[in-house]
Amino acid sequence: MMVTGGLFTNQMGVNMIFPVKEWFIRQSMENSKRTIRVMILLSLILIMGLSGNLLLVIKSLGDWALPEEIANRVFSLSYDRFAEKLPHVVFDEDVMKMLPQTTESRITWENVRDEFGSTDMGFIAFGLPGKSVFDEKLLASLWDASRALEELPEVDEVMSISTADRMDSDEGFLEISSLQPSRNLTADEVRSIEEYFEKLPKLKKRMIGRHGDYVNIMIKPQKAIENNVLRNNMVQISERFLGDYEIHFGGTPYVFGTIPKLILEDVLVLMLLGIGILLTVLAVNFRSATAVKLVWGVIVISLLSMMGFMGWVVTLTGSERFHFTMVNASMPIILMTIAAADGVHLLTKFLREMRKRKHVEKAVHETMQRLLLPVFLTSLTTIVAFLSLTFAPIEQFTGYGISVSLGITWAWLLSSLFLPAIMVQHEWDLKSKAVTHPSPFERIVSLYGNLITQYQKRILALGSGIFFLAAIGILFLKVEVDFTKFFKPGTEIRDSMDFMNREMTGVMDIDIRIEGDMKSPEVLNKVQKIQTFIDSRPSVHSTFSIVDVIKQMHRTIMDDDPQFETIPESREKVNNLFTLYSMSGDSDDFSSLVDYDYRTGLLTALMGNITTDMIVKFVQDTEKEVQSIAKNDIKTTITGLLVVLRELVDLVIRSAITSIMVSIVMIFLISWIFFKKGLWALLSVTPLIFAVILNFGLMGWFGVELSHVTAILSAIIIGVGVDFAIHYIAQYRNISKSGISSEDLTREVVEDVGYPIILDAASNLGFGALLFSTFVPVQYIGGLVIFAMISTSVGTLTILAVVAEMFKSRLMKA
Amino acid sequence: MQIVVNNQILLVLLFITVLYGQSGNDIAKMMDERKQPKDMTSKTTMVLTNSKGKTRTSIIFSQLVDGGNKQILWFLAPADDKGVAFLKIEHSDKDDEMRMWLPAFNKIRRISSKKKGNSFMGSDLSYEDMTSRELEENEFIRLDDAAVDGKDCFVLGITPKPEAKSTYSKHMTWVEKSTLLPVKEESFDQNGNLKKTKVYSNARRGDYHIMTSIFVRDVQKDHTTSVKFDEIQLDSGLKDSFFQEKNLKRMPQQEK
Repeated sequence: MMVTGGLFTNQMGVNMIFPVKEWFIRQSMENSKRTIRVMILLSLILIMGLSGNLLLVIKSLGDWALPEEIANRVFSLSYDRFAEKLPHVVFDEDVMKMLPQTTESRITWENVRDEFGSTDMGFIAFGLPGKSVFDEKLLASLWDASRALEELPEVDEVMSISTADRMDSDEGFLEISSLQPSRNLTADEVRSIEEYFEKLPKLKKRMIGRHGDYVNIMIKPQKAIENNVLRNNMVQISERFLGDYEIHFGGTPYVFGTIPKLILEDVLVLMLLGIGILLTVLAVNFRSATAVKLVWGVIVISLLSMMGFMGWVVTLTGSERFHFTMVNASMPIILMTIAAADGVHLLTKFLREMRKRKHVEKAVHETMQRLLLPVFLTSLTTIVAFLSLTFAPIEQFTGYGISVSLGITWAWLLSSLFLPAIMVQHEWDLKSKAVTHPSPFERIVSLYGNLITQYQKRILALGSGIFFLAAIGILFLKVEVDFTKFFKPGTEIRDSMDFMNREMTGVMDIDIRIEGDMKSPEVLNKVQKIQTFIDSRPSVHSTFSIVDVIKQMHRTIMDDDPQFETIPESREKVNNLFTLYSMSGDSDDFSSLVDYDYRTGLLTALMGNITTDMIVKFVQDTEKEVQSIAKNDIKTTITGLLVVLRELVDLVIRSAITSIMVSIVMIFLISWIFFKKGLWALLSVTPLIFAVILNFGLMGWFGVELSHVTAILSAIIIGVGVDFAIHYIAQYRNISKSGISSEDLTREVVEDVGYPIILDAASNLGFGALLFSTFVPVQYIGGLVIFAMISTSVGTLTILAVVAEMFKSRLMKA
Repeated sequence: MQIVVNNQILLVLLFITVLYGQSGNDIAKMMDERKQPKDMTSKTTMVLTNSKGKTRTSIIFSQLVDGGNKQILWFLAPADDKGVAFLKIEHSDKDDEMRMWLPAFNKIRRISSKKKGNSFMGSDLSYEDMTSRELEENEFIRLDDAAVDGKDCFVLGITPKPEAKSTYSKHMTWVEKSTLLPVKEESFDQNGNLKKTKVYSNARRGDYHIMTSIFVRDVQKDHTTSVKFDEIQLDSGLKDSFFQEKNLKRMPQQEK
């Protein structure tokens, strides 16, 4: 044994006292049983943070397996209450929590919600193709569904033919009454509704489909609701009352209420497939069940410990930042790839050393001597990169960064203490193929090592060619937040939303908040001009504002003369109209159009799904036009969920770039400190820069759009994959010190470190199974894992290897 | 003297017996039949406050006869509304007549609301709240008496019958025994949830007990309305014939 008794001089040439490394080796080799027990105990303490969830899992299994009566008796309400009191991870489906609260568009959006209520409408369209909606039976069904929706606590207001008021003028008589007076209508009453719509085409556009065969129900939710609850209620009520018709859904509550659960279910199935592939690749190459179990054990324990940590933090602090949301859905994949990397490197090195030394303890010791530092460095750099997320504008990323950092720390401790301790305790068969024969990947890598040394210039040229070609792809990179595109065409939800866009009002809205005297004809005329401009935009299906109501009131009191469907010329007249309405209409009728003081109005544009580029252009064009119309008389702000999301994506991209820059700087600094030479530090970041450009370039070429999901993931996955460079450099330095000839150096390094890099990358390619998801963002995650693994491993084994080979004389001197 | 005292005791006992023996319907009838002024003129200040604390204040000059069945209102404030006038004539056998003078348009417009639950002037009082409850269209049940702010009250549970076409499912009304005027009311929506609470202040003017203020809270909308009647004149000799469309344009001289 090469234990030096208290102090250790770094074998990579770093002249520093380094007792920590020796302590790790001693604990895992001399006190292996104690180390295993301590690590299991500490892990269990962390995992206890999931005890509440565990009880609920047991309940679900019990409900499934036991007869209902027994299950009800065993798992009573007190069982649930007890489970809730124990530490547990909170699964939160509220996507809104990821939106930053301090950006201008979010603040305006919140103000609009505060003043006018929620603007994120839900939509239900139903009817029979080719059959007019002006039908007694259909309107009776609409009546029932509208009433049932109004009863929901999540609903603020329902807008449909059944809930709308009509304003009529008859011989100087102004009458405000229900558009649909009762559930069961006579033929005359139905005709009267139809005639009313013929008079008001804008209203008809909002309430009835383009071909007159579908009717629209617009649902304005309460401000703080759970979208999934409203979404489920919308579907249930529709199935109950509108079962005889074709039904389509759309709008923010529906989409946001549908996505998280479906994605999580989808990801779960595909991740199991990915894990299956990961284990298969490891099994084929390790050819040792113990080695696979060890890698898998590190992955599972660190994953559960990370989740348990989140449970503890939520239980002890109540912080929502540590809730498990859609953003966190990528955490298991991220941690799996990181934890797998540490284990794969240690196990491959150990099995190779076993082949050489035929002695377990010597092999373990040599493995630890060689890999403890690179494993520590890769973990450190990744932790730093993840902690940089705490500076991201999205609050949820703080919990994400801290939790993943804890998971990585745990994976590092398990790899550096628990794993070698088990290696020492296990009785290895020295005659097994795992020890005696190189694996398939190992043989391929060996051939590759020869290629690198023989064809270095060609490989560099090829690598550079790919690099530059990929880099051009960045020019085609698109930012996209269009939720429709989350679903593949042909899926039920996508078809439903496409229908809403094609036939109805569309499913997205943009709101313009207008500050000014909303009784002044000058201001109202400007609002009308803005509205006319917005109406002229091709993506806009319908607009509405207080101007529409004023014009309709004006016409009505002027004996229904269409010539008076205008804004009155004096403030007094406008005010008289409002006062007249207040005598017979409901005070709440205008609350979504104008505020209490008539100082702020809201212009809403209902739109079909438009691309993010179009949103940006729409907002820019509108702002320009609004400025020219408004001058200094009125103040306008454009907002809406799409606008907020557009800003969010910008922030996420900035966060991702910050994260990448922090990663580069930290890796550079850490490498410089530990490898004591700027050239090494520069080389260590080379594959990262290569991978970043290759990754974003390939995203551009393959049409993978940059969204809040893909932007942050690409940064993170690159951060994970770049660990390969540190392993390569550490081994390069180790081997170069061992007196090997300069001719054999690169081949030896590639053989030594290339195999675990390729094995790690190949096993993680199993997550490419996510490419088969129904959901486009999940497909992107799968694609990004593949991109990142290929770009970082290939970057390390081509660019870094060839550059190191070209500069080897200088590097060997270093 | 002894005889007089005994008679007084007997009268009190009789009064108590009468009070305790009355049904909900009897109390409602007594309220309907209580002594009321022939006409009333007042300056009404109405303050609406929304959930964010924003307020709208209107000052209205009001004249009414026949217990409010005929009423005319002139808006004095805010300045935007000055000159607008409103005439309401209630009919028991047909829809109420409502007319409005719009000075900016120089037009009188008849208005109608078939929706009884719609608010009056954006307030928390609906037309239904402002209309007396017909005895035959509601069921009045007397509940246990209670005191409100030290005032001894009857408590009535009032359930509108279908023919009332009410927007409410029931009301709980606390009626001050000594004045037969309501001091407090809770109204419940069709789902049985509390919709509005109303608190009334009453005062004696001459021979009459009259309402001097109402405070209504719509608990579901978190919106309140405070109505205060000042400068009250009773029995000043207003004639029924005054309540005509042509008089809408003529704001009383002293209020101009």
